[in-house]
Formats: sequence, structure tokens, C-alpha cells
Amino acid sequence: MSRKLLLANKYKKLGWFILIPSTILGLILAYNEFGLDWLWARVFAIANDGKEGKYMYLSFRNTNITNTVVGSFFIIGAMLVSFSKEKNEDEFIAEIRLSSLLWAVCVSYILLLISFLLVYGTPFLDVMVYNMFTVLIIFIIRFTYILHKNSNSESDEK
Amino acid sequence: MKNNIKVERAIKNLTQEELANRVSVSRQTINAMEANKYVPSTVLALKIARVFNKSVEEIFILEKKD
Repeated sequence: MSRKLLLANKYKKLGWFILIPSTILGLILAYNEFGLDWLWARVFAIANDGKEGKYMYLSFRNTNITNTVVGSFFIIGAMLVSFSKEKNEDEFIAEIRLSSLLWAVCVSYILLLISFLLVYGTPFLDVMVYNMFTVLIIFIIRFTYILHKNSNSESDEK
Repeated sequence: MKNNIKVERAIKNLTQEELANRVSVSRQTINAMEANKYVPSTVLALKIARVFNKSVEEIFILEKKD
């Protein structure tokens, strides 16, 4: 895996600092929708709801952006954690990284397929929302787990 | 493929960390190789052999299934 695509190790810590609070806020948002009063904004939209159920393109609208902010921070944090080098990024870590990516895409699509077949109507919107984050979440869990597993060794005596 | 990195390490009195530093990899990599969970690249195999002053074949051994 090309290491040129990875950020410096220091961004990993920054990533966790962003990811952890936005995960907590995201979970709160998932269970009880709330909008922070001060987070109303006039935003530019490539596509948006128009009149009579039609789409409206390239327009502005006033909306509460709590979801947008939390979701964006989550993605930024998760990307920083996922794509920053380890302190000692080497060939073995590159292999774990690559296999975890494969794993994450695969598991994420299996979950999506199952939900696609079993969830209909408005709840499917939730599936779409979760699916925005599953690849990154599964990647981080799997990669961190394998790294951690390999750093625990009883066999480090001289 | 199996290897006797652990044995050679004991002979040279090196910890995983020390060997890792000498060949510029993480300790996890040495750990994974010793547990036969990772097959190193040719470059890394050559570097490890050089630390132990041996040929690559003396440290890395092919198995029947390879």
C-alpha cells in the first residue's frame, strides 16, 4: 500500500480528539433527534426539496445543521484516525491496513445487502445513514484490534 | 514458511524491540513473524539475516505446504 497516501502520525491523535466527541453526539442524535438552536444556517444545496415533491437544484435554504456538523466531524475524525501512519508504519502494518480495508468494505456491503433485503419504507433512511459510516467504523475496529493483538506478547524475554 | 528468529534472538541476546529497531520495523512485525503470522518481504528477510550474520536460508525455512 502506498504510504504516500497516509498522513503523518500526529494526525491520528487529532483524529481521536474529533472522533470520540462526535461519536457520542452522533449516538445521542441517533436516539433522540435534536437541533441546537444556534446551529441554524443558510446553506448552499446542490439538490434540495422543491415545490410539489420536485427536486430543486443549486439553491440556498435555511436549515438546522446539527446533523450536518456532527456527521462531518465524525467523518473527518474517522478519516484522520484511519489514514494516519502508525508511529512505526512498516510492511506488516501496511498489510494489516490493506486487509482491514478489504474486510471493512466486504462486511459493510454484506450488512447493507441484508438491510436492503429486510428493511423497507422510512426505516431504510436510517440504514442509509448508518451505511455512510460503516466502512470507516469497521476498518478502525478491525485494524486497531489486530495491531493490539500483535503487540501483546508474552514472548518478549531475551 | 517457518523461521528461527526467536532462537537467533536468544543467541544474540536481543529483545523483540531491539531487533525491530535494528531492522527499522515495528515490534509487532517481529512478534507476528515469530508467531508465523507474517511472511516478511525479501528486503526484511535479508536485513534480519544480516543482523544475525547468517544466510537467509539459515533463518527462514520453507515448509511442505509452501
